[in-house]
Amino acid sequence: MSFIEMDHIRKSFGNLEVLKDVSLHVEAGEVVSIIGPSGSGKSTFLRCLCQLETINSGSIVVDGKTMASTPAGSQRAVYAPAADVRAICRRMGMCFQHFNLFPHMTVLDNILEAPRVVKKMKTEEIMPQAEELLKKVGLWEKRDTYPSRLSGGQQQRVAIARSLAMDPDIMLFDEPTSALDPELTGEVLRTIQQLADENMTMIIVTHEMAFAKEVADRVIFMADGIIQEQGKPEDVFEHPQNERTQSFLQSMLRF
Amino acid sequence: MDYLIQIVPAVAAGLKITLQIFVITIVLSLPLGILMAVGRISKIAILRKTMYAYIYVMRGTPLMLQILFIYYGLPFIIDGFTLPAFPAAIIAFVFNYAAYFAEIFRGGIQSIDRGQYEGAKVLGMTYIQTMRRIILPQVVKRVLPPVSNETINLLKDTSLVYILAMNDILRITRSIVQRDFDTTAFLVAAVFYLFFTFILTKVFGYLEKRYAVYDE
Ligand SMILES: Nc1ncnc2c1ncn2[C@@H]1O[C@H](COP(=O)(O)OP(=O)(O)O)[C@@H](O)[C@H]1O
Ligand SMILES: [Mg+2]
Repeated sequence: MSFIEMDHIRKSFGNLEVLKDVSLHVEAGEVVSIIGPSGSGKSTFLRCLCQLETINSGSIVVDGKTMASTPAGSQRAVYAPAADVRAICRRMGMCFQHFNLFPHMTVLDNILEAPRVVKKMKTEEIMPQAEELLKKVGLWEKRDTYPSRLSGGQQQRVAIARSLAMDPDIMLFDEPTSALDPELTGEVLRTIQQLADENMTMIIVTHEMAFAKEVADRVIFMADGIIQEQGKPEDVFEHPQNERTQSFLQSMLRF
Repeated sequence: MDYLIQIVPAVAAGLKITLQIFVITIVLSLPLGILMAVGRISKIAILRKTMYAYIYVMRGTPLMLQILFIYYGLPFIIDGFTLPAFPAAIIAFVFNYAAYFAEIFRGGIQSIDRGQYEGAKVLGMTYIQTMRRIILPQVVKRVLPPVSNETINLLKDTSLVYILAMNDILRITRSIVQRDFDTTAFLVAAVFYLFFTFILTKVFGYLEKRYAVYDE
């Protein structure tokens, strides 16, 4: 029994089938990187796991708790009651390409908001953790600043701290550095690396091949809504078996 | 000058009605407008369509007609149901202005990036929490200029209640002018309206400044 079990996931937008029977199991503490050309369904796959999209069929089980399943012979996934789905999703944090910080709140309030609203915690109760998290991402000094005053790299680090404030067991990243100037990616990647060192379970969609190789226990290559190849980073990057993987890695090298 | 001293208090007596209608309408129609805006973009089709039709009718017919309808028309529809002039006026104003505010808020809500909903959702917030804590506060900043406009319109629209023989600033002024064959009272009334427009402009200017602490 793996920590996260996604099996036979199918997802269409109208007539466009974006995920074609994708299965992925992730162990607790494992770091999985998903790479692949754009439009291949990587974001959609992550979004299905954290319920930003609903799957058409397949099953999602997290830590033994079923979020969605598809009865034998049926074509449609059935979701658990809303409260159960919510409880499962509460164990996941997600960071987006464009950060999605709340612009009308200071850095500190961005961190405090969800624990206050969702967990009904008092500001004083969360403060120690908020301070610790902001220090961890190196932005405690910026706590009273509004997000628009921060660089992209700083904003993404705030977004990571904001997710961590909800004490997730799983962190999902959807191209966390794609919107950043090249010189700012390092600070974000270091923060993610630090989470990996602390044994956070993570699924990271990224275009940073060097980083994927460094941080991941396993690399997934996805194209056309299908997992084409997966394995240890050194195997996938050094000796790709699949032709699609080979040409994709070739094209990435040219950058 | 003596004449002025004589008519200013008389015109000022109309302030009570003008300001009562203004304040009550603002206080009730703003929240109602927000609720209607949320209904107008709801996933529930019947709610969405009802709100659409409602807003269309309220914006597509003159406020004057709506006031007359509620005062003179309702008793025919609901047998023998008559309202005194003041509540009839308030109802017409509130439901009319709520429709205008609803359109303003709808535009504001729809201008907020989808990422804000998604960011809130993955943090575990419900739709209502997201609306209240994340979306609407940002909408307020964006709709301040059009809401400010609408509010100044309302101040001037209050004069429509003369049709129900309510003694607001304008109706009193008119009767003074007719009585004395002197148009000075019109100027006095204009100064009153300008004074309150000035105050409203200041209030909204202050709010806009307060919301300027963050950029988007
Ligand atoms: N909400 C949506 N509605 C319609 N099509 C979508 C939607 N989201 C994604 N798609 C389409 O699904 C495909 C896969 O998208 P995505 O998962 O974002 O790919 P990736 O993250 O690998 O670039 C693309 O063709 C995209 O246009
Ligand atoms: Mg993507």
